[in-house]
Amino acid sequence: MKIFNRLWTKTLGFIVLLAFTAFFIVPVIWLLLAPTKTDHQLIFGNPFSFGSFHNLAHAIRVTFTYQDYALLTWVKNSAIYSFGGIAIALVASIPAGYALAFTNFIGRRTLLGITLFVMIMPATALVLPLFLEANAVHAIGSPISVILPFSFFPFGVYLSYIFYSSSVPRDLLNAARIDGCNEWNVFRKIALPLARPVVALVAFFAFVANWNNFFLPFVMLPSNSNYPLPIGLQDLLSSTPAFNPGIGGDVPILRPELAVATIVAMAPVLIVFLFAQRSLVSGMLAGATKE
Amino acid sequence: MSPVYLDKLTKIYPNGYEAVHDFDLEVKDGELMVLVGPSGCGKTTVMRMVAGLERITRGTLRFDDKVMNDVSPKDRDIAMVFQNYALYPHMTVGENIGFALSMRKLPKSEVRKKVKETAEILGLEEWIDRKPGQLSGGQRQRVAMGRAIVREPKVFLMDEPLSNLDAKLRVQMRAEVTRIQRRVGVSTIYVTHDQVEAMTMGDRVAVMRDGHLQQCAKPQEVYDNPVNIFVAGFMGSPSMNLFEATLNENADVLTLGSQTLKLPASVLALKPALKKYANSRVVVGIRPESLNAPGPQTQKGDDDVSLEGEVDLVEALGSELLVHFSTDAVRVEAEGAVSEDAEGLDAGLIAQRGAGVARVEPGAQVTLGGKTTFSLNPSRLYFFDSSTGLSIVE
Repeated sequence: MKIFNRLWTKTLGFIVLLAFTAFFIVPVIWLLLAPTKTDHQLIFGNPFSFGSFHNLAHAIRVTFTYQDYALLTWVKNSAIYSFGGIAIALVASIPAGYALAFTNFIGRRTLLGITLFVMIMPATALVLPLFLEANAVHAIGSPISVILPFSFFPFGVYLSYIFYSSSVPRDLLNAARIDGCNEWNVFRKIALPLARPVVALVAFFAFVANWNNFFLPFVMLPSNSNYPLPIGLQDLLSSTPAFNPGIGGDVPILRPELAVATIVAMAPVLIVFLFAQRSLVSGMLAGATKE
Repeated sequence: MSPVYLDKLTKIYPNGYEAVHDFDLEVKDGELMVLVGPSGCGKTTVMRMVAGLERITRGTLRFDDKVMNDVSPKDRDIAMVFQNYALYPHMTVGENIGFALSMRKLPKSEVRKKVKETAEILGLEEWIDRKPGQLSGGQRQRVAMGRAIVREPKVFLMDEPLSNLDAKLRVQMRAEVTRIQRRVGVSTIYVTHDQVEAMTMGDRVAVMRDGHLQQCAKPQEVYDNPVNIFVAGFMGSPSMNLFEATLNENADVLTLGSQTLKLPASVLALKPALKKYANSRVVVGIRPESLNAPGPQTQKGDDDVSLEGEVDLVEALGSELLVHFSTDAVRVEAEGAVSEDAEGLDAGLIAQRGAGVARVEPGAQVTLGGKTTFSLNPSRLYFFDSSTGLSIVE
């Protein structure tokens, strides 16, 4: 009886999990299959049917050649903005967290509090003031107007602070000092290498946030050639007859083409995640155990 | 290699807490000086001031004739072994040992050579490419030692390096650390709260309490002639039995509870100052090994006196018996000397029920719950002033 009960609980759990998996995975499958179909098949055919490789090639060709390879320009722009932002965010946040964890200075607690506060503040709330600021220094339309706000990443500071204060014993740094390190070398040779998982974690989160950010570049960058992917996609969307019936180009952008563009937009995040996964997991576990 | 001089070293924290008070100490060239005391007595603070990890509030620290007060840790030419080893987890054993050398910009080939030599001394050759996380506690401990000795520093500092090891390994490493220290001959300050380590390892021992130096001498000297009740109670395991007692008007009869002990003239001749305590209270100390229980091998001296106690517990250690007994005398304990958590009790002396411990030979006749009469040579009694706690020596 007991065994039967346990079996029953297990089966139920399995069914629930399966239902949730299906709920999340069905749209992804649909998206991956979409470019293989024609617009008509996509709407009226079986949602899980595979169209043809011919259709796929067509959709890819049309998407990429749209406006003279605009998609590639957007990808390039997105990469520049994202990685530029990450680079500055890392250079600033890892040492900042280290300093907050290991040094005692006036205003340290206040600074930590402010870090937490701005961390929970929605980024979009800052877009308009940032726009006014960028406008005042005539930076609107330049990459720097996006990269600099992207590099502002208080979450990274906090993550680095948590890591250093919970997982790195002070004596380890003292040992390095006694072994002949000056403060810079203590950080570079000991503290920074130890923080590798945190660096990966901060980089990944910053990357996802930057890559998907829509509103800030939308406000800051007026010209099509400066667009990052999310705004490019919006541009693409608006030239689709399905969404904007007034428009009819020589080679129309239809739903399968939109699907291709969407996949192109999400692929980098997926790839970065796959590569960073191992470090990410250990980064998220950092501090959970103490030696 | 250089002698270390601590001259009236004082540490006052920003919150006003005085952790170390006018601490004087001289560590001779090549000497192993053990700083011992209960936790919170300031011994680690002294070491950290020597290391440069803690600012010196007052006083002078010199290596040889060079004042080190304001020299940064990296320029002091010291090596330190930390309680938790503080090995660099992202480096291999070899890199850990060689780190300080490469920071000193020694050529790579030389670093490799020295690391290899050190690893051989410590029996770490096979682990040289492992990370600290893959090593056992004892091996990590040895890497930490290696990191210190490879430097050939002026001074070694060791902060309870054996306290994270299990009992057996601790005994083994105790001998090993001493052996290595003798071999490299570097002046060493060794901090511990374990009086056994202090006794066995130190050339000299400095006993600390509440930031004050109590006594600094050779281990046997500290054990045989403790300056006060605290040192008497702290050094030795089981610790010295201390009872309240009164001397009669001639200072030749000692009353402990309801028992009287006749002191022969030789004791008074040895400690004439006892006369001053005639008709007054003293604290009397008896080392557990000074008490003899009746048994086949027990030899009773002519002057021996008797002390009766009810046996509460007998611990058989194979080579000896630890007999816990109780008397109606008032037991005295120096605060912090025995129990690590004796804090919060009134300063100075704590009175407890009249319990004592005797260390006797395994064949001794003791019965649990019964009364046993221990014999004891009165010349092996210790006397302390009951108000100051100082030893009555002369």
